[in-house]
Amino acid sequence: MLQSLWKAGWRRVQLWAESLRAAPPAPFETPEPSRVVYQSIQRFTVRDGVCQTLFDDFAQHRRTQRGDEEIGWVLLGRREARAIHVLATLPAGAQRESSVTHVRFNAAAQAVASRILRQQDKSLGIVGIVHTHPGSLRHPSTGDFQGDSQWVTRLRGQEGVFAIGTADAQGASGQLVAAQPHRQILGSLAFSWYALAHGDLRYRKMPLELTLGDDLAKPLHPVWPVLERHAESLDRVMQLLSRVQAEPTRHESRAGLLLRIPLPGDGSALKVLLEGDQMRYYVESPRGLTALDPPVGPLDRSMFLILAELANA
Amino acid sequence: MDFRPLNDTERQKLIDALRGNAQSSQAILMNQRDTSFAGSADEMSDDEVISAIKSVPCHYAA
Repeated sequence: MLQSLWKAGWRRVQLWAESLRAAPPAPFETPEPSRVVYQSIQRFTVRDGVCQTLFDDFAQHRRTQRGDEEIGWVLLGRREARAIHVLATLPAGAQRESSVTHVRFNAAAQAVASRILRQQDKSLGIVGIVHTHPGSLRHPSTGDFQGDSQWVTRLRGQEGVFAIGTADAQGASGQLVAAQPHRQILGSLAFSWYALAHGDLRYRKMPLELTLGDDLAKPLHPVWPVLERHAESLDRVMQLLSRVQAEPTRHESRAGLLLRIPLPGDGSALKVLLEGDQMRYYVESPRGLTALDPPVGPLDRSMFLILAELANA
Repeated sequence: MDFRPLNDTERQKLIDALRGNAQSSQAILMNQRDTSFAGSADEMSDDEVISAIKSVPCHYAA
């Protein structure tokens, strides 16, 4: 009797234990990270460093031989559900195509610059365009609307911000003034801001808030000639080598771009310094820095030749 | 400084943002004025950004 009770009890314990094994705790279901539902822009902020860049570059451009031509910038920033925050400017570049009545940016250098900036923050995206007009046309033109109304479909939320720079103001020099909620004046220069969404029939004036902060792309501006010279090679290298790091440098007043490609093993790295039309290649290892002298050729070809040699070494 | 408890919506947004950050490095945004939680930002692919840059239209004064 006691033995049968013991057997029955033991069997119950076994069944209970099996039931625990048969029904493990339900796995924690992790939902997808929240997807932002974009709505019409209600808030628009621009870093003061970005405003400084726009006014400085515009003033400097007007002093050059091409000063009568249109000029422009692509705006890099962050799109939130109901807001756009402008954080950086990508210049049109010296290789832009422009005249008194039009401007087409050098997109190759801007693309490379965006890759460099987004190494740190992948939420940075394109949020708008600034360009200048001759005379006092402070509003985007009909031609602008035809292009912009299609282009905004490529943006998050299918909406972007646009500014027109003009040199027709009569403000105090050295003092930034918000002449209107959507218009800023510094001396004779002015920028008027607008928003345009897909399906809009016209631009709408966009009041802007200034926030404190640097133009994230400003350190790249001095090295823009290097970006333009090597844009295609840099783009290929940065696409193919995900661990390549690029940063602007300055040596004896010369602006340059330093590429660093980590090598497997002991912490060594291939370093490439681009200054003007100069390309210098080094291997940095625990034993020191070794200069390399690859055959003359495009940047990407020389880099891949060196990497192939290092792989065979 | 406001130390009130988060309501359900705010709590869920914060949890989603923290989870997105842990799983896919989604950026968590901070209010510059008071360092409070200000939502999260979706990451963009390189292709999406480069495509937008390379399709910027020509701009005209007329």
